[in-house]
Amino acid sequence: MGFVTIPNKDDDGHIEHIYREKTDKRILKKNPWRDYRLHVTVFVLVIIAELIGTIEIPLSKDISITIMPLIYTIILGLAFYLAKPIKWIQRKQARIAEGAMMLFIGVLIAKLAVSSGQSISLIFDMGPALILQELGHLATILVLPIALLLGFKKEAIGMTNSIGREPNVAVVVDKFGFDSPESRGVFAIFIIGTVIGTIFISFLVTFSLSFLPLHPYAFAMASGVGSASMNAAAIGPTLAAFPGMETQIEAFAGFSNLLSFCVGIYIVIFVALPLTEKMYNWLEPKIGRDSIMPKKEDE
Amino acid sequence: MPDLIDGSENVTVHGIFNWILLLAIFSIITAIGNYLGYKHPMTDSLVGMGILSLITLVGVWLERYLPFNVSSILYISIMGIILAFPGMPTSEFVLYYVSKVELLAIVTVFLAYVGIGMGKSWDEFKALGWRAIVITILVIAATYYGAAIVAHIVLVLTGVPAV
Repeated sequence: MGFVTIPNKDDDGHIEHIYREKTDKRILKKNPWRDYRLHVTVFVLVIIAELIGTIEIPLSKDISITIMPLIYTIILGLAFYLAKPIKWIQRKQARIAEGAMMLFIGVLIAKLAVSSGQSISLIFDMGPALILQELGHLATILVLPIALLLGFKKEAIGMTNSIGREPNVAVVVDKFGFDSPESRGVFAIFIIGTVIGTIFISFLVTFSLSFLPLHPYAFAMASGVGSASMNAAAIGPTLAAFPGMETQIEAFAGFSNLLSFCVGIYIVIFVALPLTEKMYNWLEPKIGRDSIMPKKEDE
Repeated sequence: MPDLIDGSENVTVHGIFNWILLLAIFSIITAIGNYLGYKHPMTDSLVGMGILSLITLVGVWLERYLPFNVSSILYISIMGIILAFPGMPTSEFVLYYVSKVELLAIVTVFLAYVGIGMGKSWDEFKALGWRAIVITILVIAATYYGAAIVAHIVLVLTGVPAV
């Protein structure tokens, strides 16, 4: 496995600062606004996406799948990067896009916060649900046995203790060290989540909205998974499914993501990670397979 | 990794200038998308995006200026909540213009940048086997359903009507 370029190798426990360092390095040094090719491309993608608009594919009388413009832009963005004939979107543009994205998360968060402020009394009323659903994220540990059956060893601890976004990567690296199997596991989840997570969760939410009869607020709260782009992709279909409840859904989604960010990381450190290790020590002798991980290769 | 060697920069006028220009580009693209997709007048969306950009700018600046080890996401959230708080003198103005900017219009632009940015991880992604992909998908689904089901149970137990 060719690991890996996570920029927090010398991170000293300042978990939240990964975002800051990425933003700073990309934005403060270069002049990212000058890369007009990137911004013009984004502009064209957005126009294409908004002109196509939302497509509804009816599966049966009451069930339909909604595909929204946000899916087009993310897939087209990736396609533009990968397409060989498109020479003006390269690694450099991807770097700038990533740095810019760290700043634009702020705009997204601000919009959600305004909705939260507007509905602040509702948020207090729903306090118990909002706080307890953070514990629902512990469900990732249920995937541990499957990881063991697929032949992962200690990598499984890094893979299944959380959703494996930046703060979680930092926690695992901090605890096990950069070269540990646990860290390799969380890096794998991080990279795969980066590439397919946003698209996957959008479809997951679309399907769930059709098939699961849960409370609209529950869908809204669940979309705060602790990753701004996945949060954004999960809110889209939820908003479309419950017209007229935009403010409440935005309020709960935003507040829940904020909780995931502030509280979630401590749940991972103090509950999820120790629990995952316990599960591993208990289950590994029972169902562990021969390791499928190749001996460590150097980059 | 040559671009990762040096440490964090200090906030300079130059840096703030870069932030402002980036946010301006983002705002203009979003306002146009907001007009195309949701037919909100461009001027209203630009004012709305201006408010959101200003909150963001102050948030990222506070993160670097204040000595606390706190993320800008927290500052931005607190400012947004306070500015829109019912009864605040700012709330009417902020709510009027910010509500003109559809969240989905912001998300659509944001995810275009995400899409291009994630291309960078593509080679590493391809190097990982299908097993890791299976686990990632299951982990994301577990996080989502775990939270949704717990929230649903608590909402039902506390008697919140399903509107």
